[in-house]
Amino acid sequence: MSISASARDRKRVATTGAKESGAATTPITLSERSMTGLALIRIFVGYLWFQQLFWKMPPGFRGLYPYIIRESQHTIIPGYGALLQHTFLVGCSSLSTPAGCTAFVPLAACVWTAELLVTISLMFGLFTRLGAILATILSLQLYVGLAYAPGEWIWTYGMLVLLALALVAVPAGRRLGADQWLAPRLQAAGQHHRIARIASWLV
Amino acid sequence: MQTLRRGLLAGLLAGLVLAMLNVVTDGTPGRLLPEALHWFGITIANPTISRFAGFFLLIVLGGVFGLIFGALQREKSITINRALLWGLAFGFAWWLVFSLLLANIMSHHALFSLDFGRFLSTFPIDLLFGMVLGAIYFQLQQLRAVAALQV
Repeated sequence: MSISASARDRKRVATTGAKESGAATTPITLSERSMTGLALIRIFVGYLWFQQLFWKMPPGFRGLYPYIIRESQHTIIPGYGALLQHTFLVGCSSLSTPAGCTAFVPLAACVWTAELLVTISLMFGLFTRLGAILATILSLQLYVGLAYAPGEWIWTYGMLVLLALALVAVPAGRRLGADQWLAPRLQAAGQHHRIARIASWLV
Repeated sequence: MQTLRRGLLAGLLAGLVLAMLNVVTDGTPGRLLPEALHWFGITIANPTISRFAGFFLLIVLGGVFGLIFGALQREKSITINRALLWGLAFGFAWWLVFSLLLANIMSHHALFSLDFGRFLSTFPIDLLFGMVLGAIYFQLQQLRAVAALQV
């Protein structure tokens, strides 16, 4: 009797465990409202990046220069300052203007273009996850270089990283964005073409 | 009538998104909103009232564009690619009419004068307005179709 009762208990425990694990792994479906809310967050994060284009406009990208200097002085990763000194700041003779810098303009152009791509991707919901991955990389770079600089609040760049990571995690471009049109087409094409399959991971 | 109502609602909501984007600009909140008044030659001395008026004007203009968007659909349901393309076209029209032509006329500049900075600060945002308009219109159409199936 006791053996059968304990077997029954074990069975009950096993069933409950299965139910709990089943509940924990049940796919979550986002409602239309949640998806639209995420899309609006995506648009505003894109706008955040968009506004940062204007204080470092081409052709000189002068606004970026003081930040590169600060990054080279206050980075948290050993060697990162030296890396900046030998790339962005090679040949530079002044702490306030990029006079004499040989590589600053082309490298700053790359940074500006990357931020423009993030802007287009997030605001228009076009390959949103790719844009969010790029935003994560750019934010991490800012965190590494500037989070511990004097006068900065460390969470400013931490939050930027987390915002970008959140947009990598969810398909925020599939409402109010071009990904809504793109995603089903890429998924259909992905059954036959590897490039389309890879591209479908980025929407 | 359905498409007109849907277009109006989509336009008002897209206009609200555009106005909210103008609120969260660098510097003082909403400092760009009075530009919408300036397109029509309106100047209000009080900066707070001027910003609120600009905010509501953008929403109203969004509604007008939405109505035109809905009217052009001629009571037909549209696909997502059509909605987005029409939306982008409307965003381009918004940019052309307001951010380029009216802004230049009111500032006494040549009709098509434009520098890179002004192009960059207005064109993507106006296109975004159009795309959001088209996307919301499509969403409203889908919601109605689902509701009709459930009845």
